[in-house]
Amino acid sequence: MSDFSGMEDLLQDFLVEAGDLLSGVDNKLVDLERAPDDKGLLNDIFRGFHTIKGGAGFLNAAELVTLCHLTENLFDLLRNGELVVTPEIMDVILSSTGSVRDMFGYLEQGVQPPAADPHLIEDLRRAIAGELSQSSSSAPAPAPAAAPVAVAPAPAAAPVLAADGLDWNELLEAVTGAPASAPAPAPVLQAVPAPAPAPAPAPAPAPAPVVMHQSDAELASKSPEEVIKAAVGRRASDRPGASGPVGRRDTEKTRDNSIRVDTSRLDQVLNLSGEIGLTKNRLNALRSDILNGRSDTETLHALDLAVSQLDLLVSDLQNAVMKTRMQPIGRLFQKYPRIARDLARNLGKDVELVLSGEDTEIDKTMIEDLSDPIIHLIRNAVDHGVEETQERLANGKPEKSIVRLEARQEGDHIVILVADDGRGMNAEKLRAKAVEKGLITDEEANTMDERQSYNLVFLPGFSMASQVSDVSGRGVGMDVVRTNIQKLNGSIDIRSSMGKGTTFIISLPLTLAILPVLLVRLGDQPFAVPLSMVREILPIEPAEVQEVGGRATMVVRGEVLPIMPLSTLLGWEQNQTPEYGVLMQSAEQSFILAIDSFAGREDAVIKSLDDFRPKGVAGVTTLSNGQIVLILDMKELLGAMGDTRGVSRRVLLAHLELPALAA
Amino acid sequence: MSDPKMKFLVVDDFSTMRRIVRNLLKELGFTNVDEAEDGQIALQKLNSLPFDFVVTDWNMPNMDGLTLLQNIRATPALKHLPVLMITAEAKKENIIAAAQAGASGYIVKPFTAATLSEKLEKIFEKMGKKAA
Repeated sequence: MSDFSGMEDLLQDFLVEAGDLLSGVDNKLVDLERAPDDKGLLNDIFRGFHTIKGGAGFLNAAELVTLCHLTENLFDLLRNGELVVTPEIMDVILSSTGSVRDMFGYLEQGVQPPAADPHLIEDLRRAIAGELSQSSSSAPAPAPAAAPVAVAPAPAAAPVLAADGLDWNELLEAVTGAPASAPAPAPVLQAVPAPAPAPAPAPAPAPAPVVMHQSDAELASKSPEEVIKAAVGRRASDRPGASGPVGRRDTEKTRDNSIRVDTSRLDQVLNLSGEIGLTKNRLNALRSDILNGRSDTETLHALDLAVSQLDLLVSDLQNAVMKTRMQPIGRLFQKYPRIARDLARNLGKDVELVLSGEDTEIDKTMIEDLSDPIIHLIRNAVDHGVEETQERLANGKPEKSIVRLEARQEGDHIVILVADDGRGMNAEKLRAKAVEKGLITDEEANTMDERQSYNLVFLPGFSMASQVSDVSGRGVGMDVVRTNIQKLNGSIDIRSSMGKGTTFIISLPLTLAILPVLLVRLGDQPFAVPLSMVREILPIEPAEVQEVGGRATMVVRGEVLPIMPLSTLLGWEQNQTPEYGVLMQSAEQSFILAIDSFAGREDAVIKSLDDFRPKGVAGVTTLSNGQIVLILDMKELLGAMGDTRGVSRRVLLAHLELPALAA
Repeated sequence: MSDPKMKFLVVDDFSTMRRIVRNLLKELGFTNVDEAEDGQIALQKLNSLPFDFVVTDWNMPNMDGLTLLQNIRATPALKHLPVLMITAEAKKENIIAAAQAGASGYIVKPFTAATLSEKLEKIFEKMGKKAA
C-alpha cells in the first residue's frame, strides 16, 4: 500500500524536519515581502528548498524534487541579484510553497505525490527566465502571446569552460574518479532530474492564461476558507463550522508517534532514574535493618531522609519526563503569519501578525490539537475583528492593523492570546442576535453581563451569522474552537473593548497527564473534580438557600447560582444535608456543587478507563493511601441531568434536623 | 585502507540527511560515525577529536561545506583528511570549485549505498597510491 516500504522511519523524519523547514520558509517569505532585497532571507529560503530537495531525492519523490529544484533556481537568481522580487514572482513562490506542502500531505499518506500543477511549473520556468514580471504587467489582456521560451539548454556551456583554459576532464576525474574519456558532464548531471534538457510541458497546453494564474485577481475570487486550506494544506473536514467529535484523526496518528527530544533532557531523565535506583537500594537496606529489629532513632531518621529524597527525585523525574514531551509553541506559530497574510490580502486589508513567546513550551499533543482553533481565531481577527481600511482611517487608526499571537506560561498554565486592534465586540448586538436566533430568552439576555454576552459567540448555532451586521461571523466555528480547547482541559475567554479591539484568551494546563483535582466526599466516598473548574469553596448555610423558580439557589456576591447536590448528579440517594458548596465555573455556566465534606487537593495522575467509560467519569486516579477515586466529568454529569437542573430547597435540606424555613 | 573502524564525520544541517548518510555508511560496514550540524561545529570537532574521513554537505548555515573544506586543507593537522562532498548541486562550476579546493570526491544527491561505496573505494585507492 505504501510507496515507501522500508523507508517509513526515514519518511517520518523527513516529514517532521522538512515540515519545520517549510514553515520557516513560509515565515521568511512573509518577511521577504517587506524586505525584498534582504540577501540573508533569500539565502535562507534558497537553502530551505535546497535541503528539502536533497531529502526528497532519497525518497524518490521526483515531483517534489523537480518543484523544489525550480524554486531553488529561482531563489538562486534572486539572491545573486540577477532577478528582483516582484509581486508576480512572489505569487509564484507562494503557490510553489503551497504545492510543496500539498506534496508533504501525499507523503504523509505514504503516497508519492503527483506532479505539480503544470501552470505552476511553467510560471516558475518563466520567472527563472526573467519573463514573468514583464508579461504580467501586460497580462490583463487576454492573450499576451507569450513566446514559450525554452529554458536555455545548459550543456552548451561545457566547451566554453574548456576554452577558458580549465581542463574540465582532469578536474572531473580528480573529483569524481570517473574516467575522463567519458562524455564529461553526463554521469554527474544525470543524478539530478535535470530541468534543462527535459522538454518543458509548455507548448502543448496553451501558455497564455498561465501568467495570471495565481495573481491577485484569482486570489481575490477565493473564499477565505480556500485561502486557509491552500495555505495549510488541511483536510476539508477541518473547515470552520464542520463540527463533530474531533478525536485523534487517523492521518495524524501516523505522524504522532515520533518526537524530537533534546538529548540533554533525556540525559536528565537517565540521571534521575539512576538516582532513584540508588535511593531504592538505600531503602532496601533500611528495610532489612528494620525487619531485623533495628528501630533506633538513627535508623528511623535515615528512613525519613531516604523517603523524602525519593519524594523529591520522583517529582523531579515526573517533571523531566514531562519535559521530553514539551515542544516550543513556535513550531505551531510559524505557519500563521503566512495564513494571516493571505487572508488579509484576500480581504484587501493590511494586517501584520506579530508573534511573541514562541519559546513557550507545551505538550506535543496539545500543539497538534491547538492548530485548528488558533487558525479560526486568527481568521476571525483578520476577517471580522479588523475593520475595513476606510473605516480604520475614518476612526483615526493606522491603516495597518496588528494582530498579536502570544504565548506565555503563567504558573502551571499556558496562556495563548489572539488579539486584534479592530472594532471590538458589541455586547448589545450579540445579545440581540442570540435572542433573534432563539438561542437565549429575553430574560436570560437581560441578566447577562458583558463577559457572558461575548461568550455567546461560542454557542453552537450562533455562527454563520448574516454578513451585514458588524458582529457577523464572529461565531464561525467558534463552538468548535471552544469544544477543542475544552477537550484539552483548557478554557477560552474573551475581552473586548469597543473601538479598540478584541482579545481571545486561551488558558491551558501544562500537560494532560497530570490533573490538579479537588477531592470531595459524599458520605465516605471520595470523588475528584478538576480544580480548573473550581472557583471557590463555601459553606452552605441553610438560611441563605433561597428558592428561585423551584430550584435551590444561593446568592454569591450578587450572582444567583443554582445548587446541584452531587448526590443528585450521580443519582444517589441523599443521606445527609450537604454542608459545603464548591463554586464550579465552566465557560457556559456557574453553579454550586453541594457536597458533604472535603478530602483536600491532589495532583492526580489520570488513568483512563479505555473501553469502559461510564457516563460522567473522566478517569480514575489512586490516592496516597491506595484508594481508587473516580475523576468526575462535570460537563457530562450536568448533561445527563437534562433540563431538570437543580433540586428544590426542600429536597436539598430534607435531612436538616431543624427546618430553617422560618428563618 | 578501508578499515571498518575508521571514524567518519558527517556534516549536514538537515538531520534526516545525516541519518541517511549514517545508515548508508553502516550498510558499508562503517559504524564509527559522528555528526556535525554545520562547518563551524565540524571544524571544532575535527580540531578536538581524531577523525579519518569527512563527508560533508555543501549548503549549510554558518559555514558551508566548501569553506569547511578550505579550512581543512589550510590546517596542517587536518589537511591530509579525505573529504567527500555531498550535495544536490550538479553544476560544473561547483564541481570545479570543489576540485580546486581539494575535495577528495564529489557525490550528487540522491545516491545509493553502491554509489557511495564506489566513491569511497576510489578515494581509498588514491590514498593508498599516495601512501605507497
